[in-house]
Amino acid sequence: MPDVRVTIDGIEISVPSNSTVLEAARRAGVNIPTLCDHPAIEPIGACRMCLVEIEKQRTLQPACTFPVFEGMVVQTRSEKVVGARQFVLQLLFSERNHFCMFCQMSGSCELQNLAYDYELDHWAFERPMPKFEVDASREFFAMDHNRCILCRRCVRVCDELVGNGTLGMRNRGADTMIIADLGVPFGESSCISCGTCLQVCPTGALMDRASAYMGATAQIERVKSTCMACPVGCGEELVVRDGRVIRVEGDWEAKPNNGLLCVRGRFDPLHDRRDRVRKPLVKQNGEWVAADPNAALELVSGKLAAAGDKVATIASGFVTVEEGKALADAVKGNKYYMYALPPAGNTATVADLDRADLYVAVGIDLAEDYQVAGMAVKRGVRKRGARLVLVGNAGEGMAKWAARQLCCDDLAEAAKLIQAAEHPLVIAGPEGLEAANGLVAAAPQARLLSFAPGGNGRGLVEAGYAEAFAGQAADVYVVAAGETANVDQCLLDALKKGAFVVVLASYAAPWDGVADVILPMPTSLEKSGTTVSVDGVLSPVAAAMHTRVGSLQDTVAQLAEAVR
Amino acid sequence: MAKVTLCTDWLDVCSGCHMSLLDIDEGLATLFGSVQLLSSPITDLKHPPIEGADVGILTGSVSNDHQEEVARRMRERVRILVSMGDCSVFGGICTMRNFFNVEDVLRHAYVETDSTAPNQAVPRSPEIAKLYPKVRPLREVVKVDYYIPGCPPSAKAIAYVVTELASGREPAWTEDLLRYG
Repeated sequence: MPDVRVTIDGIEISVPSNSTVLEAARRAGVNIPTLCDHPAIEPIGACRMCLVEIEKQRTLQPACTFPVFEGMVVQTRSEKVVGARQFVLQLLFSERNHFCMFCQMSGSCELQNLAYDYELDHWAFERPMPKFEVDASREFFAMDHNRCILCRRCVRVCDELVGNGTLGMRNRGADTMIIADLGVPFGESSCISCGTCLQVCPTGALMDRASAYMGATAQIERVKSTCMACPVGCGEELVVRDGRVIRVEGDWEAKPNNGLLCVRGRFDPLHDRRDRVRKPLVKQNGEWVAADPNAALELVSGKLAAAGDKVATIASGFVTVEEGKALADAVKGNKYYMYALPPAGNTATVADLDRADLYVAVGIDLAEDYQVAGMAVKRGVRKRGARLVLVGNAGEGMAKWAARQLCCDDLAEAAKLIQAAEHPLVIAGPEGLEAANGLVAAAPQARLLSFAPGGNGRGLVEAGYAEAFAGQAADVYVVAAGETANVDQCLLDALKKGAFVVVLASYAAPWDGVADVILPMPTSLEKSGTTVSVDGVLSPVAAAMHTRVGSLQDTVAQLAEAVR
Repeated sequence: MAKVTLCTDWLDVCSGCHMSLLDIDEGLATLFGSVQLLSSPITDLKHPPIEGADVGILTGSVSNDHQEEVARRMRERVRILVSMGDCSVFGGICTMRNFFNVEDVLRHAYVETDSTAPNQAVPRSPEIAKLYPKVRPLREVVKVDYYIPGCPPSAKAIAYVVTELASGREPAWTEDLLRYG
């Protein structure tokens, strides 16, 4: 792209000719205020905050959508521009009902900050005060239309990034309303509660139930970490106040999620209702008793010593590489991964989902599991015209995006479609892996992206947990569970067969039904370490939350001490 | 030099703005070096003197006929009128009743709440001010010269604006003085 020369507030700069005025201004270090614009989505020029004066243009123009031209001269701070922005703010504040004094976003609100910047000490217009309901029909976050400025960031992220297309607008002008589907309550709509809209809302219109009123921008810090709920390995920002994580947000700079999270990654960590394990619990006469830590450790180390090599250690996907290694070093016997092993034969990465023209999903429900990968498929279908073919039992969640749904025995048809495609990508879960391998073999250009449950599967396989647990017998089971709630009944049944069962867990359920001893283990918000994604990328897990629960490494060291 | 004279009054308020005024604390002593407080709801003299004053501060929104009278009287008697607090500047929390019919609001408050004794009625004495159908910010009733938003405005913001006006300067919003909520 050839460069053009533009002058912004007297600063001459050369920018690619496909730039917008806003992009050029950012390069020149000139700050232009924005509200509806967001770096992750296409600009639409809805809010008019970024109006600038461009020589030879009849009226003020929105910088976010206006393309640069050779010799363009832009004024971003002239009296006319500042007056227009103040006018825009006046209109935005007057249209609906903005009450900063009890809004949970006061202190973190982009609209409020701009009004401070432009010294709005009163609103010039009489307010119509329309009456709007609050839609609190979703579990984790609510929508207050009173505070909505119709910037459409939510609509655009739902469409462009999540590919779900739930949100839209009804009516026009001042009567415009953000709606879900055809105007149903959000909780009854096709919304998947991923919370991307919540993360980009510039005002208090979308409010997070967990973090509302818990901390404004000046009171919080952000800690980068990695979600351990599934092997996509989304980068996240933990919003922390006084040693407590109050909210989880997607990290816009992180790969492969580029700012997105799913409902599980964003909300599960702060909405887990299970009883937390903070002290060692020992089962005595069928009752759980909070035990003296030393007594509990001695009991466990005694059992381990007596069992010799007949110990099975089972790690969940919430166990970090470091935890896995520490446990493997300290405990004898066989090491197992709690779920199906992560496949080793992937020839595609999660990022490749944004390049494929055909997705063939085999035995995997991307609307339920590995949802951020599912979002890439959805936006591929919506935005790039890629086709999705579901093979076998792939759940109903993705059916809306699918061009075809084939039976398990119709692999020949799937293979034909793959052969005809330029960049076919076969996506599989553990049950579909065999069929998927066959499909990939059907065409040289076909690539495989398969997933298995658990966040750190690949890291744990490398750490020695290289066999899937399938009921192998042992005298003592040591289960490193973390906060996992995704537990197979077969595992619980195997643990019930009479062996001594020690579980290291953050939450008592479901282990209180099968364990003899439960030792506390930090959640992934409380520990630092690393995790390995499906793509084999090693990412940091950061301890953002204060806890008195000792690290698994400490517990293991104390166990070793107790053996002596 | 003669002191600048100041009158304050409150309209539909929780009185928090005047609490914030008192929060100027020892700064009040400095302030009163150049400002003379002639009347306020928290001093013995409640009404601005007929001879007038330099600066008037009104807090709260205009919700009934009595408040409108108070607002108009203040406007007539002061040279510079300051609208102070989110209720006065924007309408604030008081405007939440604008979403409802005023008779419904009265009936709910005096008859229907769980804590109301049985057989109560909405008081209709002619001595009681009449609620307007809609609550308005001060500037929709009288001309306002300066605004100090905030719920309440910080003591610092109040002290700053009064000091600037007393010195004959134009207050300009700097740093963290301008705050809503």
